[in-house]
Amino acid sequence: MAYSEKVIDHYENPRNVGTLDKEDANVGTGLVGAPACGDVMRLQIRVNDNGIIEDAKFKTFGCGSAIASSSLATEWIKGKSIDEAATIKNTQIVEELNLPPVKIHCSVLAEDAIKSAIADFRAKQAARLALEQA
Amino acid sequence: MDAFDTLGLEPRFDLDLAEVEARHLALSATLHPDRFAAAGPSERRMSLGKAIEVNDAWRVLRCPVRRAESLLVRYGVPVGETLEPRPSQDLLIEMLDVREELAGARRAKDKAALTRLATQMRAKEAATTVALTHGFSTANGQTAKLEALLPELGKLRYFRRFFEELDAIEDELLS
Repeated sequence: MAYSEKVIDHYENPRNVGTLDKEDANVGTGLVGAPACGDVMRLQIRVNDNGIIEDAKFKTFGCGSAIASSSLATEWIKGKSIDEAATIKNTQIVEELNLPPVKIHCSVLAEDAIKSAIADFRAKQAARLALEQA
Repeated sequence: MDAFDTLGLEPRFDLDLAEVEARHLALSATLHPDRFAAAGPSERRMSLGKAIEVNDAWRVLRCPVRRAESLLVRYGVPVGETLEPRPSQDLLIEMLDVREELAGARRAKDKAALTRLATQMRAKEAATTVALTHGFSTANGQTAKLEALLPELGKLRYFRRFFEELDAIEDELLS
């Protein structure tokens, strides 16, 4: 199966590979995996006080489509508010990267990763708020 | 007809691989095209189709992941993306760590680290194989008990990916 040019570009020049400090209160971490293929994807966001994602990093061990999907996801969410980022759908990733049907689950994984990073950040914020009010 | 039926073997996870190999060879010999040289076109086509089926069945049964998948499907437990539970966070953290260590060993061309990681993962793979063997032999075809084996199968797939990556790195460091 041939990869699209956009997938190859993200695979060969992945954007935003790396790690953010997961203990940082402003950092949300999403760790997701696909049991049927053995892929693992970590996506992290750093959110500023205005709720804007000022940085995003990923690390993916998986096929080219999984790497491209997470690379694209970090590119898209940077500069967005967490509410906006939460609306990104896997179908947009499929369209942008021209993923074939057998690789759609890679885009689902990327959408899940964004959502779990946001959920992790929100849980941290809620815990901090609870602590401040206590 | 699944891989077990094709090779005429009892459906179980802890197959004797030597027996699988022997069945494959015996059946392949009876289906060899040379034996059908004088046969009519439809018989030749049928024997060829059967020979391909036998080869496929052998590939399925000699691979622990595919063997487990075949058993689950046989007893009505669907496998595949979206049909299986999500991997646990513990497994994902462990696999992310070990894959990062593997990538580090590759960059450093650290063969001792590769050996250490391989040993560590072989032990985990062996433990998972034991769990699956026990699980399949005690499930007696009960769906709930078989479904409970899906996370173990997931682990096996993650370990397989690890070993594929390790093999590629070892080849790269040797060349």
